[in-house]
Amino acid sequence: MESKIMGYQCQKCGKIHYPFHLRCSSCGARDFELCDLPDEGVLLTFTRLSALPEGYDVRTLNLGIVELSNGVRVTGQVLTDNMKIGMKVKVTVGTVREIMGEPVAGFQFLAT
Amino acid sequence: MRKVAVYGCGMNQFGMYEGGLVQMMAEVSLAAMDDAGVDKVDAVFVGNMGGGILNHQTGIASALVDCLSLYPAAAMLIENGPASGGAAVSAAFMAVASGLYDTVLVTGGEKMRTVSPWEVTDFVATLTHPEAEYIYGITLPALAGMFTRLYMEKYGVTAEHLAKVAIKNHLHALHNPYAHVQLAPVMEAILGSEDALVVNPYVADPLRFYDLCPVSDGAAALILSSPEVGNFKKPPVFIKGIGHATDTHTVHERKDPTDLTAVRLAAEKAYKMADLGPKDVMVAELHDPFTILEIAESEEVGFFPKGEGHLALERGDTSLGGSIPINPSGGLKAKGHPVGATGVAQICELVWQLRGEAGKRQVKDAKVGLAVNLGGFGNNVVVTILAREE
Repeated sequence: MESKIMGYQCQKCGKIHYPFHLRCSSCGARDFELCDLPDEGVLLTFTRLSALPEGYDVRTLNLGIVELSNGVRVTGQVLTDNMKIGMKVKVTVGTVREIMGEPVAGFQFLAT
Repeated sequence: MRKVAVYGCGMNQFGMYEGGLVQMMAEVSLAAMDDAGVDKVDAVFVGNMGGGILNHQTGIASALVDCLSLYPAAAMLIENGPASGGAAVSAAFMAVASGLYDTVLVTGGEKMRTVSPWEVTDFVATLTHPEAEYIYGITLPALAGMFTRLYMEKYGVTAEHLAKVAIKNHLHALHNPYAHVQLAPVMEAILGSEDALVVNPYVADPLRFYDLCPVSDGAAALILSSPEVGNFKKPPVFIKGIGHATDTHTVHERKDPTDLTAVRLAAEKAYKMADLGPKDVMVAELHDPFTILEIAESEEVGFFPKGEGHLALERGDTSLGGSIPINPSGGLKAKGHPVGATGVAQICELVWQLRGEAGKRQVKDAKVGLAVNLGGFGNNVVVTILAREE
């Protein structure tokens, strides 16, 4: 399973996108290169979801949006119950769901 | 461009429908045709999001035309998430305004109670970004929960404000025979009492059960035409402005995740086209599948400054009898939210309000109405302005 998720950097204006787009949201250019995303960030907002969609065998999921240290934002699962707006998190990649029996990799946020 | 007006409305009581999706949509279509006094149409525009997934049926527009024996009328389906209905109205408006068709039927419908709650949740969650949101278990309530938490932090909105939206809309719905939920909760039971966590459990905290709309079957229909075509049984209610705008698919890519930029931009376009402003609007139907969205949208359409919608709610401005009643129908919150039907049902309510046919929930002497139909979590929004006068 892939252990890294990459960002997409516009080769004209430098803006880093996540997820992937074919046209830059800032300047409209079309050339991108993969780039590493930082593994540290700050929790912008979060929720504890108790009504889960089909396909989960847990009772609740902690979900959040993190602003990475380079300003790029990502959505993911928060692996702590003590969530606070503004808390520092370490960003890792792990199995976030199984779809059709296959594990799916995504961002997970750990309290630091 | 020809002037376009609504001449007929039809709707069923949202909730649980025993028959099939197409039959349900056909029944409200006939009600709208009877209301306008027409027996044939040139085209049928259908709003439906999930026929293929929820009801294992595709080609809904063709099936509807057949059920009503309206062939050879043109027919097409518009799938635009929870804004399918508003988008279908917009497409029908374009068709009549351009002169392509004279008389058009717009029918929105959704039959959601055929599958389990977790299947419905998953169906709606397929609106989210497949790689950057959906895989995490993100659902629409989850996005709304995260949005609400930021709104509370930034603007001082409290759980009581959210509950007040719910209670207000449920009270409005008591006067609407088409509303799914016909009872009104009290604050003490859903927030104060010892049983509140059982009666009103957290769904996507800080959002609780009473902050969310129910899951409903339902359908609504309209007849659109132009005064140039001729006279109809009912007086015209004019479509004065339509604004349609989009935003990023993922919520995390928005500059400020507490802004509903597409609502603001769509409203600005609709006001400009109608040559009207927020102060002219006398009644509004705002897309409130989550209580917070009514507050946020009331700000984005310009009724109140950003961050002050909850204060207007507290003052009673948005209740029936207030300065700008919002969701006299009960809104999605109490009327129900059969996704493809919602945008059409909002226009039905405004037409009834502007005709003075809204019974005990009538906004006195309403002349101008505005509807916000929101798709995704605000990434595809249709704003429609209706008026009694040309």
